[in-house]
Amino acid sequence: MSQQKPEYFRPALTAGAVAGLLSGIPFVGAGNCVCCLWIVGGAAVAVKLLVKATKAPLTSGDGAVVGALTGIIAAVVDAIVKIPFQSFNLEMAQRILDKAAEMGGQMPAGLDGIFQGASSTLSPGWFLLGLFLSAAVYAVVGALGGLIGISLFAKKAAAAAPPPPPTAIPPADTQGPTDAA
Amino acid sequence: MSDDAGRRRVRAVWLAATLGAAVWLALIVLAPWLAARSSTGLARAVYAVFSPVCHQIPGRCFFLFGHPLAVCGRCLGIYAGFAAGLVFYPLVRGFRRSGLPSARSFVIATLPMAVDGLAGLAGLWRSPVGLRAVTGLVWGALLPFYFVPGVADFFDLRERRRAAGDLERAAGKNVE
Repeated sequence: MSQQKPEYFRPALTAGAVAGLLSGIPFVGAGNCVCCLWIVGGAAVAVKLLVKATKAPLTSGDGAVVGALTGIIAAVVDAIVKIPFQSFNLEMAQRILDKAAEMGGQMPAGLDGIFQGASSTLSPGWFLLGLFLSAAVYAVVGALGGLIGISLFAKKAAAAAPPPPPTAIPPADTQGPTDAA
Repeated sequence: MSDDAGRRRVRAVWLAATLGAAVWLALIVLAPWLAARSSTGLARAVYAVFSPVCHQIPGRCFFLFGHPLAVCGRCLGIYAGFAAGLVFYPLVRGFRRSGLPSARSFVIATLPMAVDGLAGLAGLWRSPVGLRAVTGLVWGALLPFYFVPGVADFFDLRERRRAAGDLERAAGKNVE
């Protein structure tokens, strides 16, 4: 197996941007309510793109890396896309909670405070904190998606046991002819 | 890498994942407990931690201490299933390095939740919270069998590439 590092960033960027966009759009983003569908799916697609672009067989470790990277990129895109929809999302969430209250449900403690102070959620501090939390969670979920992607799209390579790393450094005189020789 | 080192690595990943899952589940329960104790600020912070990954609609959550858990029933099922899968992982796989689950296992574990979730999103039916939790539990129980060997392989891969890089550099020096 080749020890060369595959090009993770491009497939992660492509799939992460799409997954983040889908996660950030109102209603469409509800897909994430089904086991983080867009993030897991995006990470699996990133693996598919990586498999296509890489000649060497990939291992599950490659899937975890590209998946985690996809999750982080998706979190950034998601956070940016959600900015213009912030007031709409808050209004929708308030409606859902009002309906739940009508049906006898209870609101999470202090959630009303979040809606009342909606403008504070747009402050840079809250934005960065939310982004950090999302990126951490999406990275783990994305890594899982990447591993699922490896099992689906590069199954044989993932199942193959990796060769042990070389332990001895061959002396210079056993090397083939080189320009310096 | 020797088998022993491989086992140690898988065991370390398993242990870290188990601790992480336990903390994650504890946080889910902590939110309603804090809310019940009128620690509104802390409760709000814990609910906020879970908001990027769950809609937290109260009608779809289990309640504890008179308040909804920090995640919906389906998410709770997934996380509880993940924790349960981790508990059973050493009994099923041991700590040896192993491959990922088959595509068939993935489809079988995903199908109940996918059908329930997508039908719910399409408005075809509204399943009770208990059923959502059970379908999530089935799916979540499979995830450690991806996560543990996958993350262990990531660390193996990093080590192998570092060793290969060192070898290339050393070979280059020898040639010079």
